[in-house]
Amino acid sequence: MTDENATKPETAEADVKGLTRAQIRRMKRFDNPWQNPKLIWGLSMLLGIIALGVVGRMLWDTDMVFTGSGIPRQGPVGVENLRGQVGTWAHPLGTDVTGKDILALLIVGAPNSLYVGMLASLIGMSIGIFLGFSAGFIRGRLDDVIRVGSDVMITIPPLLILVVFQAAYGDISLTVMAILIACFVWQSPTRLIRAQVLSMRESGYVQMARLSGASTWHIMFREMLPNLVPYLFGSFIANVTTSIVTAVGLEVLGLGPQRVPTLGRVIYDAINSGALIQNLWWWWGIPTLLLAVMFIGLLLVNLGLDEVSNPRLRRL
Amino acid sequence: MTGTLKYLMTTAVSTLALSAVAVAQDVAREDTVIFDLDRTIQDPENFNWMTDGTGIRRMHGAHQTMWEPLFILNYGTGELDPWLATGFEANGDSTEFTITLRDGVTWSDGEAFNADDVVFTVEMAKANEELTAREVATLRSQVAGVEKIDDLTVKFTLNAPNPRFVVENFGVRIFGSFLIMPEHIWAAQENPATFTFYPPVGTGPYTFASAASNRAIWDRNDSWWGAATGFQDLPEPQRVVFLESGGEESRAQLMATNQLDAAQNVSVGTFEAIKAQNQAVMTWHDGYPYAAADPCPRQMEINTTVAPWDNPNMRRAVNHIIDRNQIVNIAVEGATTPSRTMFAEYGSMAPFIDAVVEAGHGLSPTADVAAGQALIEAEGWTRNGDYYEKDGETLSAAIHVNSASTEYTRTIDMIVEQLQRAGIDARSVPVENSVFWGEVLPFGSYEMTYSWLSCGSVNEPWTSMGRYTVADVVPVGERSPGFNNTARWDSPAAASYSEIVDQLEGMALGDAAIPGMVAEAYGYMAAEMPFIPLVQSAKLLPMNTTYWTGWPSNENYYNHPFHWWNSGHQIIHNLERAN
Repeated sequence: MTDENATKPETAEADVKGLTRAQIRRMKRFDNPWQNPKLIWGLSMLLGIIALGVVGRMLWDTDMVFTGSGIPRQGPVGVENLRGQVGTWAHPLGTDVTGKDILALLIVGAPNSLYVGMLASLIGMSIGIFLGFSAGFIRGRLDDVIRVGSDVMITIPPLLILVVFQAAYGDISLTVMAILIACFVWQSPTRLIRAQVLSMRESGYVQMARLSGASTWHIMFREMLPNLVPYLFGSFIANVTTSIVTAVGLEVLGLGPQRVPTLGRVIYDAINSGALIQNLWWWWGIPTLLLAVMFIGLLLVNLGLDEVSNPRLRRL
Repeated sequence: MTGTLKYLMTTAVSTLALSAVAVAQDVAREDTVIFDLDRTIQDPENFNWMTDGTGIRRMHGAHQTMWEPLFILNYGTGELDPWLATGFEANGDSTEFTITLRDGVTWSDGEAFNADDVVFTVEMAKANEELTAREVATLRSQVAGVEKIDDLTVKFTLNAPNPRFVVENFGVRIFGSFLIMPEHIWAAQENPATFTFYPPVGTGPYTFASAASNRAIWDRNDSWWGAATGFQDLPEPQRVVFLESGGEESRAQLMATNQLDAAQNVSVGTFEAIKAQNQAVMTWHDGYPYAAADPCPRQMEINTTVAPWDNPNMRRAVNHIIDRNQIVNIAVEGATTPSRTMFAEYGSMAPFIDAVVEAGHGLSPTADVAAGQALIEAEGWTRNGDYYEKDGETLSAAIHVNSASTEYTRTIDMIVEQLQRAGIDARSVPVENSVFWGEVLPFGSYEMTYSWLSCGSVNEPWTSMGRYTVADVVPVGERSPGFNNTARWDSPAAASYSEIVDQLEGMALGDAAIPGMVAEAYGYMAAEMPFIPLVQSAKLLPMNTTYWTGWPSNENYYNHPFHWWNSGHQIIHNLERAN
């Protein structure tokens, strides 16, 4: 016995032929491109980390990020450490060798890592937008200076300079660290935006604005900028990723703030204190996992934004 | 035809030559002993130890295998074990010392080692202020003249009586000794301060093979004078390697996998983990606390020229706030004890420690935060939120710490927390090892720092106390002589202290008046706290018996286990191949 319907595609409505119900559901979603699943997943991962920081601060004692807050080397709840002690709810994710509470470190550290990335990228992007527009739209000598400047800067490996700088100055705050990183993430946006502006400045609406006597400032930031927004968002997120990688790189080398917990700092302490050989996996493993979540979240947001701004990438 | 033959023959000969070289360079792992190095060799082709304040131009094997000391202080017996010298005599008031050298000692290039080398090296040290190593500075300040009596006898005349002269300069009391350099090489140099002494020459049983920034290799010299004269047998290891392990984790992994024979300090937890993976690893004590007592107790050095810490009451406040028990339990994981005085807690130091404690200058193992805060408030600071403030300024303290070891950084992290909780905005400033010893400490470019610069006394009080006299005070920015009084403690109390300590200097060891004088001088110091003694130092040094046995331990106490010291010769001579 054959079921007639089994061979036919499931159709929801008579006028849409040859599509499954799921495909139709997805198609409808494209009425609003922002309802992109990648974007939603990515954002919820990032929001989850921010929520961990906000809610965690309310529910958990974040003073336990400091040395000597609990019994050292405790495992997460139910996990036995090398000395045969079993982890308790006093420290649900365990402690490190100086008794810092891992949960508290994550609650404070994860948003800190995200903060450095966001701030550095925000500053870098702002510089990039300003320079890119100026170079692309005003052209001339200014363009030469900005173009050569960013070309030169792009050849300098940022981590090298930052390591030297931080090693020389020792303890610095998160904000200073973000500003330092920002000095090395403006070149790419500058170049890319300049290229976009160059092609855009000859387009009809810009010519029209110019003919109507709009000021350069007005044309650049009121007429052209809105057209670049989805693109800028994508670039911003990519920059956040770069900045976080740089920040974590510095922290894992033991540079950066000393007393402010960050995920990289936790990993540095773990490596430096023999956490691997002592099998204190919760000490380095959980922060690494959180970093992975953060990066996957950023990647998904980036891919999602790409699809939002470029309909051709959307698949059914 | 002949061309082809020639070519073949040349190839064969060169192949043979190459394989011969390969064989010469190949030493089996069983015949190699690998020591751990806790720092980078900054300048691997510079062997001028006399201009190096950090010790790295010696501790990478040079003074454990190639350069030998005249004597080695034996921590077990308290005696000087003779090495390149056989003995010494002093005159009645300890101003003249006559040292007898061992007969038959030769440099590895065949030249004889004799009194000329000793006289030359001492005179060179006296004539060149630019030779800044601590041992050179110490010798320079003590010796008025040196003369050769005969080839094997040298007489020193001192500026002032010093019963400790030999152990202090030639006895490897702490880390190094004044090393004698070959006259036939150094005499030809115009400026000994810029001479790199590469390749180096020594009298020891090993010669220099090669060095890079992370390792130094030393190969046995089978024609060593010591075996020929019957002084000692040739040591068993054919090759000695000093390898920079790069931190506790890699140190532990190398140890667990037998790629390291003797490691630098690790924490108790790490040692237990190594032991769980590799039963062949041992250390000084079989059980808790595992570690061997190190003669350099830890302290917090305070720059007494920088406000607000130029005020003795503020420094005493910090002393009250510090909880030594917590440092012991958290930072050192119970492997040491709190300091009661500036001195190392050896039995031989007990009379002086007891005198200081009885006089009421002993330190508390626990904190008295309220007393500390009262002192701060009495100086006009008021607590506003988290921190104390005065005239709109927050009470802060930057503590420089050498980032080379987790012991250092963890202790300072702990102190930072203690100070923070008490209302002082303290922060740790980790700096690289060479910057720490080369720039931060000697030039006084710090507010507070973690060090062990009162180190020195092992069986008498003067060596440690003499390091904080006003005679060694120099302005910030100038190099403290021999790392003495880097706190730049210079006040009426410091002057009174120095007066008593200067009297102590010339007194015979064991004089019954000494403990009382120590307590009196210590009173001035306790009142002003130019540095704050923290905890005793203990070193947990894992040693691996897979390839080598005969390591020093509490049961096999031929000397202490500090293999980066000049006394490392004894350890290498005691090693026996395990199979």
